[in-house]
Amino acid sequence: MFHSRYVLPALLAGAVAVHADPPLTESEFTSALKAVRPATGEDKFDQIPWLTSLWDARQQAAKAGKPILLWEMDGHPLGCG
Amino acid sequence: MAQEDFVSVTTDDWYQRRRQDAEGEFFRKMASQGPRTGEGGATRQGIYVLTADGELLSFKNAGQNAEVTRDELKRGLSKFQKLPANRRTSGAVEVGEPGRLDPNYSRSPPVGGIIVRVHTRILDRTGDEYCKGACKTTGGDASARDFLWLTQAEVRSLAPKKAEPSFTYDVPKAIASRIAQFHLIDNTRGEPPFWERQHTRRAKLTLTVSRITAEGIELQLDGDVLLSTDSDSTKAARGYEARLRGELRYLPKTQTIDRFDVAAVGEHWGEGTYTRGARPGRSILGVAFGPVVGDKPAERVPPQGAREIGRYFGKY
Repeated sequence: MFHSRYVLPALLAGAVAVHADPPLTESEFTSALKAVRPATGEDKFDQIPWLTSLWDARQQAAKAGKPILLWEMDGHPLGCG
Repeated sequence: MAQEDFVSVTTDDWYQRRRQDAEGEFFRKMASQGPRTGEGGATRQGIYVLTADGELLSFKNAGQNAEVTRDELKRGLSKFQKLPANRRTSGAVEVGEPGRLDPNYSRSPPVGGIIVRVHTRILDRTGDEYCKGACKTTGGDASARDFLWLTQAEVRSLAPKKAEPSFTYDVPKAIASRIAQFHLIDNTRGEPPFWERQHTRRAKLTLTVSRITAEGIELQLDGDVLLSTDSDSTKAARGYEARLRGELRYLPKTQTIDRFDVAAVGEHWGEGTYTRGARPGRSILGVAFGPVVGDKPAERVPPQGAREIGRYFGKY
């Protein structure tokens, strides 16, 4: 016999279950962090002691007697891509 | 070479070519000596070698191979070394203070807030574990960078109302929205197209008190997000469906967070104008948050999303 009061909750539970993927396991979590983050020595760009103010660079270059290397991109090289 | 022979500085051209202050004027005057004259507001991005008093010595666009870039730097260095002593020796050039900074194009981390490193990378899966993915686009398999900024009030809002193990509560909406809209994004091949508010179809993030120690309250983050450019994600040109898990630590004495290790993993699809070359169909994208940083200038650059600073902080 068809009982709507049982069918509707079951349908709703089914709809929720489509979205409710199981949470990340401990292994998935730790392996993901490790795989996404750069390995030691991988990010050579990050190893350079970059200044982030061109004016500060001018002042330091004038004091040190050095030229300035300015790496300028659309999207900060240290904070995008 | 970058560390020994130069004072090395890196900036975002979006700000530099627009700012109306002494630094902006200096930059544009110097850049106009080369091919990047910025006509019509065009980009001036590239790799410049210049003197402290503003002479352009060499310029090359980025994206060249390492040898070409290195040769250009050597060319600029050689030109510098041939300058008269009164232009290049220590103290020969005087540079004063910059004066007022253009507030429209200056960004500083929120006082008392926290800065969290963010990395993004394409992934593959082997068994129960994730590994680096492979991409045909040069550099597309690298770990892309960004930063997450949280204000002092937002950090304090992460504290549990009850410091009891297993107490569970929602991550405040402002923080969940910012993470979803601005940081669960594929920026591995260039500047990403951020999600609009309406693209956030689902962003359920919770915190659970897992342990209380003398140092602080350890929290586990769990979450589930769906971002898609169409309300029917099966029809969306671009989307990201991910699960999140993380470990945070809140310090009640200082009302701050000193640990913020969160991973988001799931299927991403589609690409943006500046992120062409995505892997076809749906493929795994991972985002890693953490650690909490901010001691070095390089760690205090604004998030990519902070160009529209009001939008980034949820004001509109």
